[in-house]
Amino acid sequence: MSSSLIIGQYVPGNSIVHRLDPRTKITVIFFFVFIVFFANSVLSYTTLTVFALVTVIITKIPIRFIMKGLTPVWFLIIFTFILHLIVTKEGTVLFDIFGFNIYTGALIQGFAISMRFFLLILVTSLLTLTTTPIEITDAIEEMLHPLKKIKFPVHELALMMSISLRFIPTLLQETEKISRAQASRGVDFKTGPLKERIKAVVPLLVPLFVSAFKRAEELAMAMEARGYQGGEGRTKLRELKIEKIDIAVYILFTLVIAIVLYTRS
Amino acid sequence: MKGLRPIDLTFGAVFVCLMAIGANIAVWFPMLAIPIGGASIPLSLQTFFAILAGLMLGKKLGSISMITYILVGIAGVPVFAEMSAGPMALISPTGGFIISFIFIAFFVGVIAELSSKPSIQIYSIAAIVGLIANYGIGVSYMYLAMNTWLELDISYLIAWSGMIPFLIKDTALACLAAIFMVNIAKRVPSKWMMVKA
Repeated sequence: MSSSLIIGQYVPGNSIVHRLDPRTKITVIFFFVFIVFFANSVLSYTTLTVFALVTVIITKIPIRFIMKGLTPVWFLIIFTFILHLIVTKEGTVLFDIFGFNIYTGALIQGFAISMRFFLLILVTSLLTLTTTPIEITDAIEEMLHPLKKIKFPVHELALMMSISLRFIPTLLQETEKISRAQASRGVDFKTGPLKERIKAVVPLLVPLFVSAFKRAEELAMAMEARGYQGGEGRTKLRELKIEKIDIAVYILFTLVIAIVLYTRS
Repeated sequence: MKGLRPIDLTFGAVFVCLMAIGANIAVWFPMLAIPIGGASIPLSLQTFFAILAGLMLGKKLGSISMITYILVGIAGVPVFAEMSAGPMALISPTGGFIISFIFIAFFVGVIAELSSKPSIQIYSIAAIVGLIANYGIGVSYMYLAMNTWLELDISYLIAWSGMIPFLIKDTALACLAAIFMVNIAKRVPSKWMMVKA
């Protein structure tokens, strides 16, 4: 489990979308989230859907990975659709089920809003499906760079992210170990009222807390011993570079935005 | 603003991991799924750890640590509740609770920094303020999400009433956080407590 954690939801591949600069992907997705809210006609929705589906096809990611990412929100999408179907009373009556009149307006509105939410989730999930957490960390560091002017610790934030990526699997294992150790000592958490169960959290938290911060202290000492001086003058192993293909994507996406704004009613 | 030392970075990173564990604590300890009115609600310790981050790291480092937590989640590592991740976790109606962790750590830190000595009074007030920030932002965001991008007309009161069971368990956990930290603060090396008045 811990090995799958660190790569996150990333599905390895060599498609154009995988090879794009992570900054390009983040920018496009950021603006996509905004532009989805501007779509309000059949044509504008179609443009966005085509854009999303074509991107999905280009990534060559098996459909089941994409579906897996959508599982938690299916319920919400369907719930939204049904609620709109019942509540909205516009247009002409289409048919009635169990005494509820289903209006054409309701059908259209329910579909449009479910579609909007579906598009949002689909496109944002493509970021983490095609980009490793480390690439995203690098991109975030680069993109937040202007914030350095207001003394926001951008480099430190990115380093903290990298340290977290390194620590998460270790501490998850530690948690599992502690839970087994305490169970073997006969700690029983399964019964009792709420108060007792919450109290039972303490024998798990104290050892976890102490071991985690001891590790952190050791790492800090190791960093100091190696002369860590902060971000100034540090060189990078992985350099991000904007290629021709990134520029092509920006142009294409600007076109998509223009079409959506033009075709909205 | 003083720069961050290596120990600040590593401690901040530990809180990111603790948040990740806290979000999914019921995975390892299924007994922490609390049955309330038939349904079983998995206990999450996110609010608990966000309060601890404020108490232990102070307002600045605490809130930076929580920002890092959210960014790690956005980067695709399954650190949010139910092992979810990615930007879509923020778009869903419960995304406000994730964003509120930054403010919990900040406000708790502000209050914790009022006094140089850990005391149960200060810590309890801090924890309660953190809880208010948590639900104030979380529920308002949910209301906003429901009414704008899902266009469901749900009143503010209904949005709140759905969250009552969670509020009960988080109030209990906020109290536990205050008591826990007072006891921990006395026992750990003093440089671990980064809150300075």
